[in-house]
Amino acid sequence: MSTEENPAAEPAPVIDVQGDGRWMSQHNRFVQECKDAEPDVLFVGDSMVQLMQQYEVWREVFSPLHALNFGIGGDTTCNVLWRLQNGELENIRPRVVVLWVGTNNHEHTADQVAGGILAIAKLVLSRLPKSKMIVLGLLPRGEFPNPLREKNAAVNNLLRASLPQLGPVQFIDVGGSFVHSDGAISSRDMFDFLHLTASAYRTISMTLHELLLQMLEEMPQERRALLV
Amino acid sequence: MSEDSNPAATPTPCEDIQGDGRWMSLHNRFVSDSKGKEPDVLFVGDSLVQLLHEFEVWRKLFSPLHALNFGVGGDATHHVLWRLMNGELDYISPKVVVLWVGTNNHGHTPEQICGGIMAIINVIHQKLPHAHTLVLGLLPRGKSPNPLRARNASVNDLVQAEVASLSHASFLDMDPGFIQSDGSIAHQDMYDYLHLTPRAYQRVCQPLHERIRSLLDKHAP
Repeated sequence: MSTEENPAAEPAPVIDVQGDGRWMSQHNRFVQECKDAEPDVLFVGDSMVQLMQQYEVWREVFSPLHALNFGIGGDTTCNVLWRLQNGELENIRPRVVVLWVGTNNHEHTADQVAGGILAIAKLVLSRLPKSKMIVLGLLPRGEFPNPLREKNAAVNNLLRASLPQLGPVQFIDVGGSFVHSDGAISSRDMFDFLHLTASAYRTISMTLHELLLQMLEEMPQERRALLV
Repeated sequence: MSEDSNPAATPTPCEDIQGDGRWMSLHNRFVSDSKGKEPDVLFVGDSLVQLLHEFEVWRKLFSPLHALNFGVGGDATHHVLWRLMNGELDYISPKVVVLWVGTNNHGHTPEQICGGIMAIINVIHQKLPHAHTLVLGLLPRGKSPNPLRARNASVNDLVQAEVASLSHASFLDMDPGFIQSDGSIAHQDMYDYLHLTPRAYQRVCQPLHERIRSLLDKHAP
């Protein structure tokens, strides 16, 4: 699907309807962080990424990896694409980029959402040719089975099939443990049936952390110098 | 201002636009949760209430007070009003109700938002005549000065004045001074210039905890 046909792959900033310019403030802060920091790992996405930084697990597991967090609540693939094209990939050379976005693309079909995520992955890999990527699958949501669960699962299936073809991109689905045998999601895992609790973040962080360590080890600093 | 002319004071459930029914799931869970519990304190409001439950400060300061948390992200006054009128107060008798809502009332004037908050206080008083409602002031928001800061400050002034004449309600200013000398709010306090970080919650919750404790002590057995 070309960009012209896929609205989920059209870069777009968030328009300030509320009146306090918070989205642009956050974007500007991230652009500034790119000038000041030298992250080895960059997390980018929506509130699933953003909220992680507010829990202990971030300080314990990801900060030590020199990770930056460019998550903004409510973001769609369009918003993340715009941010990455407008400064949030400048001046940094993260060895791994972790992307988690797509659950807020309410206007788009599963095909379009997957296309948007692919567009972001292509952008990152072209801007950072020495980097690897981890793309997280969309989590199930809602207390009971509902159309959004099916849609998110469909996005994941599309990503699973098409991401590896782009290059050094790993897809991981950390949503497996959240839906119980009766089809329900517990508020102990998702306090509002969308956002994760501290303990749920711990669970998914183990898998993510392991994969990150693996990827970071595969690209030792010395070898990177030879590739330049 | 009558309820008919004030949208902020007209009980309205949240429409399920996204398709996963989360708002109603949360409401139903609060109602069923309340059937088994006997909280002394009930927190009700928007995401500032809801997120509080997810951090350590809740376990340290408010769980020991036997508190329940009925916060829903995105809620405006008319949503909270609907929830309280449709079951969330029917099975419990808390001594103190902590109300923190209003910052999501986009498109409403400070007068309307104040009217919405007063309508909520009224409903609580009708359903729980012995409870005291502690209304928390709206926090400033946005990285730099903007119209919503002025709006929230006006709401606080109006609510504080209206509540002064009531014996069953009082107002607590929750801003410990988030606005810095250059007019900006630090992301170390509000990570998205609206929601509080755990360290900011620690700061605002100390005085809140003390006020609740003193209200509980005053409450007639």
